[in-house]
Amino acid sequence: MYQAGERQRGEDAFARYVLPELEVLARVAFSITRNTADAEDLVQETLLCAYRAIDRFDGAHPRAWLFTIMRNAEAKRHRRRRPQLLRDPAQAGRVESADPRGGVASPEQVVVGAEFDAVVAQCLASLPDRHRQVVELVDIDGLSYAEAAEVIGVPVGTVMSRLHRARTRIRQRLTAAGLAPKRSMR
Amino acid sequence: MRVWNATASRMRCVATMRVLQTYLDGALDEVAAQRVADHLEDCRRCGLEADVYAEIKTALGEQDRTVDPRAIERLRHFGEQLVRGDAAGS
Repeated sequence: MYQAGERQRGEDAFARYVLPELEVLARVAFSITRNTADAEDLVQETLLCAYRAIDRFDGAHPRAWLFTIMRNAEAKRHRRRRPQLLRDPAQAGRVESADPRGGVASPEQVVVGAEFDAVVAQCLASLPDRHRQVVELVDIDGLSYAEAAEVIGVPVGTVMSRLHRARTRIRQRLTAAGLAPKRSMR
Repeated sequence: MRVWNATASRMRCVATMRVLQTYLDGALDEVAAQRVADHLEDCRRCGLEADVYAEIKTALGEQDRTVDPRAIERLRHFGEQLVRGDAAGS
């Protein structure tokens, strides 16, 4: 039970450290869950846990602290429901059908650029989940290696190797599509 | 002498490729980053490879990841309710 003063301090800390991170938390939650409703649930759960633990937070690195809470909340969510063995086909096709530039025939460079982006998007969607997740966290959500490691609960080196492997696969797909040169080491 | 130069150059290529993505992510220390930048300047093949990965990074960065503003609003409301003590169940 809070004393009035402690409660006020907790509320101030929550408003100062947690609320400004809301949008980042929402983006990262979406990268983890791939579903808007689940992402919203996950952020709510994270906010609730953060609120309950705010009196034990020392004010250093709030984002990393929140990512750890989110990771634990996501693990708890997973324990509560059956694992999603197959991705929703509607979700899997989402990226392919979402390209707003699809079908626009214009100068060659625009077409090649659009094809490049489309192959990257398709390849991203087809990556194994653990590889796709790090690409989304680092390249799309803009997290550092350390922050991404915090979110998924693996060492920084693992983030780097998954990320590099994922991008290498995208690169190979681009080569196969004739959109990037072959890499030849002497 | 030419063989030595070719070997040294190949070793620089291998070393550069090993850290290229970390370099493009801006996560290399200053000295190593400068070494990579110098090599990319000199080596057409590695420079081209860097360009490809830079383009991949750009294409990924341009993927739409806008969270529905209504969801953000709902979450903000939820957070503010917590601060006011309405939703924490405390």
